[in-house]
Amino acid sequence: MQFQPMYDDGELFLPKIELSMTSNQSIGIITDLKRKQLLMNQLANHSQYHLFRAPQNEYMRLTVEELITFLIKVTERNEHTASLLGYFALKEERKVKIKNLSSSRRMYVTLLRVFFAHQPTLVLEEPYFYLEEQDRRHFKRILDDLSKEKRILILTSNLEDAIISCDTIYRLNESGFHQLDIRDSEEDKQEVQEQDPANITLQKISTKRNDKVILFNPPEIDFIESLDGSILIHVGGENYDCALTLTELEQRLLNFGFFRCHRSYIVNLQKVREIITWTKNSYSLRLNTGKDDVVPLSRTKLQELKALLNI
Amino acid sequence: MSISLKRVRAIFVKDYKEFSRNYAVSIILIFPIIFALLLRGTDPSLTGVFGLVLNSSFVILTTFAQACLIAEEKERNTLRSLMMTPATTMDVLIGKSTLVFAMSAVVLAIATYIFGYEPVNIWVFVAVIILSIILYTAAGTICGLFSKTLLEASLSIIPVAIVFTGAPGGALLVKDFPIFKVLEYVPSSQLVNLLNIRNIGYTTGDLLKPLLVTLAWTIVFIIVAVVLYQRRLKDE
Repeated sequence: MQFQPMYDDGELFLPKIELSMTSNQSIGIITDLKRKQLLMNQLANHSQYHLFRAPQNEYMRLTVEELITFLIKVTERNEHTASLLGYFALKEERKVKIKNLSSSRRMYVTLLRVFFAHQPTLVLEEPYFYLEEQDRRHFKRILDDLSKEKRILILTSNLEDAIISCDTIYRLNESGFHQLDIRDSEEDKQEVQEQDPANITLQKISTKRNDKVILFNPPEIDFIESLDGSILIHVGGENYDCALTLTELEQRLLNFGFFRCHRSYIVNLQKVREIITWTKNSYSLRLNTGKDDVVPLSRTKLQELKALLNI
Repeated sequence: MSISLKRVRAIFVKDYKEFSRNYAVSIILIFPIIFALLLRGTDPSLTGVFGLVLNSSFVILTTFAQACLIAEEKERNTLRSLMMTPATTMDVLIGKSTLVFAMSAVVLAIATYIFGYEPVNIWVFVAVIILSIILYTAAGTICGLFSKTLLEASLSIIPVAIVFTGAPGGALLVKDFPIFKVLEYVPSSQLVNLLNIRNIGYTTGDLLKPLLVTLAWTIVFIIVAVVLYQRRLKDE
């Protein structure tokens, strides 16, 4: 899959992107509304890509059962409506008209159109945005099954949505196109450096931005991530480069209630609001920073975290 | 371009259910019947009356229903989604048009029966009516493609109503405005001419002329509708 570069006012708005997608893989791209539109406009080939755009709506006056029957017939598949209704967990609502469903359910039913796609690649814009938790789980299950035969590309502006069902996640913004490290690898060993006990513990974390050195008090920091080899410190929704390595930072911040929750992430435990336990690879932590940040949590680190928090 | 009966039928059934449950639009089905009931008592020497019933029914029922079916799919983005299924342009158009055709044919047959009109030559009459329904369905498709919402669709049929339903009236003014002679060749005028043929003293040419003019219009409109449909969908 290839995207051509796009320029906006002479500035590179969309870099040239080449994604090598293999079957049974799902990729997420976290980006903003305008870049999502530009990406999707480049995927107009109907024989290759099934596009699901967010403003997609449904035939409101059909019942759920009639809609599924219609989709089966129009795509000439051989499934039976009854068994598919069971698979979609829609048995109870089969006689309900689409317009009478709750908005989350209606979106879920609308999203089922991708199940009937015959194209090898499915592209979904914000699939989880309007779904409530239960419908998210159902849809994640369907997408996971679909990803066995198809390639799935999810475009979203929300990391949490991408984490739910993507193996690989990229972030696309003004600073370019970068892969996020969210994989839950078992060989999570790091060489812990022995710190010199005589060293004075520094109270400030120094960061750089636009050639200025900015110092932060550790409690201000929300979380720290390693992105393409550079360390980003997230404070109040902004991020700042830091010259230290994650291991060094972990050592330094241990006494301030920070926790190495993942190979590429350190989180400020004071800011953790929720442990999400059902996303694709790993568990995730949701922070109460007002920006709805989500940080991945390795399976191996879960026990450690529970011990730390006495739960 | 392949046409699959299975897909056409699926679209037909889906549109039938959607249409019949949308009471705001499906109420127009009774319009021609009411119109025929109201006007059935008029003096038989006023020959244009039944033509008026038919010509306005074509626009208000056939064109409007087809425009609504297409505009509503566009409004909800389901048409775009449908284009990503194996269903082809012809599947979608035939599925929808068949529904509109069946509804129009049944309702107009009832209206004709209620009005008590007896054509001089039943076969020519039926053929012209069938061609007209197809012609007005194509016109509805064009209206639907130019509108993005249901509301726009209901407004877009007004020009069709003025040109087609108004043409026989305009043709009467031909003495004052010679330019109106072209209105003679609008299919609605031809239909009125056909209805005016009396039992005695008509030639085969009198019968064939409306039939051929309507046929020509129908072919042109079908081609325009199909080409426009494919062009418009590529733009989206």
